[in-house]
Amino acid sequence: MNSFAATIPILIVVLSAIAAMLAEAIRRPGERMYIAGFGLIGLVGAATASCFLWDSDAVSFGVVRADNFALFINIILCIIGILTMVFSHDVVERDGMPAGEYFALTLFAISGMMLMAAATDLLVIFLALEVLSLAVYVLTGLRRSNAAGAEAAFKYFLLGSFSSAFFLYGIAFAFTIAGSTRLDVIGTAIASSQNSANSPLPLFAVGLLAVGFSFKVSAVPFHMWTPDAYEGAPTIVTAFMSTGVKAAAFGAFVRVFLSTLEPMQGQWVPALSVIAAATMILGSVVGVMQNNIKRMLAYSSIAHAGYLLLGIVAANSAGKAAVLFYLLTYAVANLGALGIVALLGTAEHPHDQLRDFAGLWQSRPALAGLMTVFLLSLGGFPPTAGFIGKWYIFSAAVQDGHYWLAVIGVLSSVVSVFFYLRIVVMMYMTEEPGAPARPVLSMPAMAALGFAVIATFYLGVLPSRVLDYALQSIQTIF
Amino acid sequence: MSVLLSTIVFLPLAGALLVLLAGGRGDRPDREGTVRMLALVVSLVAFAATLFLWWRFNPGDPDFQFVESRTWLPQFGISYRLGVDGISLFLIVLTGFLTPLALLSSWQSVHKNVKLFSFFLLALESAMLGVFVATDLFLFYIFWDAVLIPMYFLIGIWGYERRIYAAVKFILYTMVGSILMLVAIIGLAYVHQSAAGTPSFNLLDLYGTTLSWPMEKWFFLAFALAFLIKVPLFPFHTWLPDAHVEAPTAGSVILAGVMLKMGTYGLLRFAFPLFPNAAHYYAPYIAALAVIGIVYGALVAMVQPDMKKLVAYSSVSHLGFVVLGLCTVTVYGLQGGVYQMLNHGVSTGGLFIVVGMLSDRRHTRLIAEYGGIKAVVPQLVAAFLLITLASIALPGMNGFIGEFLILLGAFKWSAWFAVFAATGVILSAVYMLWMFQRVNYGEITNEKNLRLADLSGREWAMMIPTVAMCIFMGVAPGVFLKPMEPSVLRTIDRINQVRLAAASPAAPAPAVKVGLTGGGGR
Repeated sequence: MNSFAATIPILIVVLSAIAAMLAEAIRRPGERMYIAGFGLIGLVGAATASCFLWDSDAVSFGVVRADNFALFINIILCIIGILTMVFSHDVVERDGMPAGEYFALTLFAISGMMLMAAATDLLVIFLALEVLSLAVYVLTGLRRSNAAGAEAAFKYFLLGSFSSAFFLYGIAFAFTIAGSTRLDVIGTAIASSQNSANSPLPLFAVGLLAVGFSFKVSAVPFHMWTPDAYEGAPTIVTAFMSTGVKAAAFGAFVRVFLSTLEPMQGQWVPALSVIAAATMILGSVVGVMQNNIKRMLAYSSIAHAGYLLLGIVAANSAGKAAVLFYLLTYAVANLGALGIVALLGTAEHPHDQLRDFAGLWQSRPALAGLMTVFLLSLGGFPPTAGFIGKWYIFSAAVQDGHYWLAVIGVLSSVVSVFFYLRIVVMMYMTEEPGAPARPVLSMPAMAALGFAVIATFYLGVLPSRVLDYALQSIQTIF
Repeated sequence: MSVLLSTIVFLPLAGALLVLLAGGRGDRPDREGTVRMLALVVSLVAFAATLFLWWRFNPGDPDFQFVESRTWLPQFGISYRLGVDGISLFLIVLTGFLTPLALLSSWQSVHKNVKLFSFFLLALESAMLGVFVATDLFLFYIFWDAVLIPMYFLIGIWGYERRIYAAVKFILYTMVGSILMLVAIIGLAYVHQSAAGTPSFNLLDLYGTTLSWPMEKWFFLAFALAFLIKVPLFPFHTWLPDAHVEAPTAGSVILAGVMLKMGTYGLLRFAFPLFPNAAHYYAPYIAALAVIGIVYGALVAMVQPDMKKLVAYSSVSHLGFVVLGLCTVTVYGLQGGVYQMLNHGVSTGGLFIVVGMLSDRRHTRLIAEYGGIKAVVPQLVAAFLLITLASIALPGMNGFIGEFLILLGAFKWSAWFAVFAATGVILSAVYMLWMFQRVNYGEITNEKNLRLADLSGREWAMMIPTVAMCIFMGVAPGVFLKPMEPSVLRTIDRINQVRLAAASPAAPAPAVKVGLTGGGGR
């Protein structure tokens, strides 16, 4: 079926990105323009289109498939995008970033993410990966005068290109086996090669693809870039990439490994188990030692990548649905927490040190309360979304007999609670040092945070309906 | 379907939100009085509701009553299930009883953001009540974990000097245990699903799940660890003195009065009946730790210079008795254990209130700072004396009944445990009376103690119910023991039904032996 339908959400986002660029081009110097509005329209449109496409299983050009799995990730990405747009409106000018470029690049990145989750051809996945990566590299270094930002962007770019090369090499091996880069063809070829000869080629392909994905989701030992990139990037970009890139990369990861490469489970599950365990442990243990909130949340995001990998390692239907649900809960909470950091920062005073949060409760009780909820959700406390997400991931692991991984997971989540609580201790139990200038939040930003907090509680208390959608979403990727 | 239990559980939470609204924006000292009164009224209404539950409770029925069951997460077989039986009934009433006292106890000492303080205390009450009524393991775990957050804030914001250290230690320590229980809960439900076909977290479905011996062993240990840390049993007790000493009085009252009982309740409701073979196998070891804890807690309490720390260690000792009673799996032991949970809640809650009253007056809790205050504050000392006597299990007071039953059960089970545990009774008299004597009798050595005020009306309002309960529970134990008995017998049946482990027939051999002796109490 050769229709455009499956690409509609992606196209809408691309159009809005172009609109943002044009708006910047015709903007007179000094004129204020609500460029974020274009993004909002585009993202709401993409979300609506995704809802209409639900259950349609549309395929475009044979390589883009809008199955429920891709659409679920689309919705997550739209939520991430919308929250980012609203927060950005407050902070972009204040942080000295060029608004037009910023919004256009963010939207292009989102379109790449959507494509990555929907692609059913390794080359298209690679293409999408590059679209989103290039945009995010530039976003990381968008504050050109900022040395840390430039360094972060350069590191991210260099290591990222390296991993892209690995990924491409893996595609080449897969092509050698199957004579095609289509996922379904590769899947059949691998399934038959499993039965016949002991060729090392499939192993190379799997290994190299795993390296490429591990880099993008920042799994140990391919996580090195994460803390530096997250710290150096403008906070709002950190918020965006820590959630968006992860959602897209895990979408493709699940699609490639749990359907195409599923016949080789015996080979890659042990390797990924080790990576998952190392990722969970390193992320939470090293996170304890950080005094910069962005670095701390970078390590926290590494730990969360470990939990998500657990869902892939479980390699059962519960695991796949758990990854989807977890991505949603993580996105809402992490975006909320980093969003608050971004909203409180200014160009002179980034407000990203732990001690900057001292006494936040006294001057901004509501903001401190919201931050607490997001952190508790990241730490996996009931009755927030994070608890249900962790519950789902760990039950998937236990159902597959990975008791040890589940135990490592829960223990490392206790360790991570320690550093989430460090922020809470700062906010509530430490006196305010003088009066640091904290900017006032705009109404839309407060509303977006309110939405995130409601979503966090909704997914924590009444997750049943969303869980159903997550379960429906994974029906199609076999 | 009755909604009485849901009402009881969520009433304090609704009140907490109301308090938050009534308190206005930020810290408003002008609304302090309103907020306090509102919170107190809410907690009293909740107490009345728990009394209503007791009144409507059918004492002859061993099963869960007032059962509520609603589908919640059908994908996992998780339901919103509540129920109350003779064991949990009085713990609910105890929670309702202690929360108003805790609010009253902080009337003078807490002035920083009273709104938030009352909010956390009421939210805590909701979570604790939820722990006692949840009969779905998932729901239970949610309440179990939710308890930690308000307590963390209560200690961390309104505590004393080292409050942050104590709060973080408290939350991490308890989480390590409980999160392993989470894995065990998932595993247990999954085994049940493999056997029964449908997933379920309903406690009644999960009772009697057949497990292989290694699995049963590990699951039991995970559950037991969570509960024993909470109790806290020696050697997992180190978080308790810190948390108690640093917590504000209200926090200590709730912590000692109710939260520690969540651990012993969990053993009795979940760990033992869910994994009977493992329970019988490990009971002697746990009992041994309990006896060590009884003696150790008493000895350490004896040398404490700080009254609050002394009472905290006395809790370790007293809770050792409860665990010992439960480990015997005899009617006497279990009834005594449950009864002692209630006694300890009332008397230790009372002790913390008394220490709080002294500390409100003098801003110190060191025993050496006092001495001879009987002449200055006779009423306070009279109340102090009665609660102290209750705590050391004087005949006629509540503690006596509980400890006597436990020792009776322990003696039938294994005499040596009883002999060593009995020394704890004597030691408790030593450290409590010695402390009492140093604080209240003798000459007044510190002249700051000359101008202390005696009990105020508010303090009378706290002391009268506490002392009355200590005496009432000492002279009329039947009122409490009778409704408890059918459920206790049912629980013993569950623990004593030794099942053949599917995978390894050799392993449960020691379990059967202990099981038979354990049945001797019937």
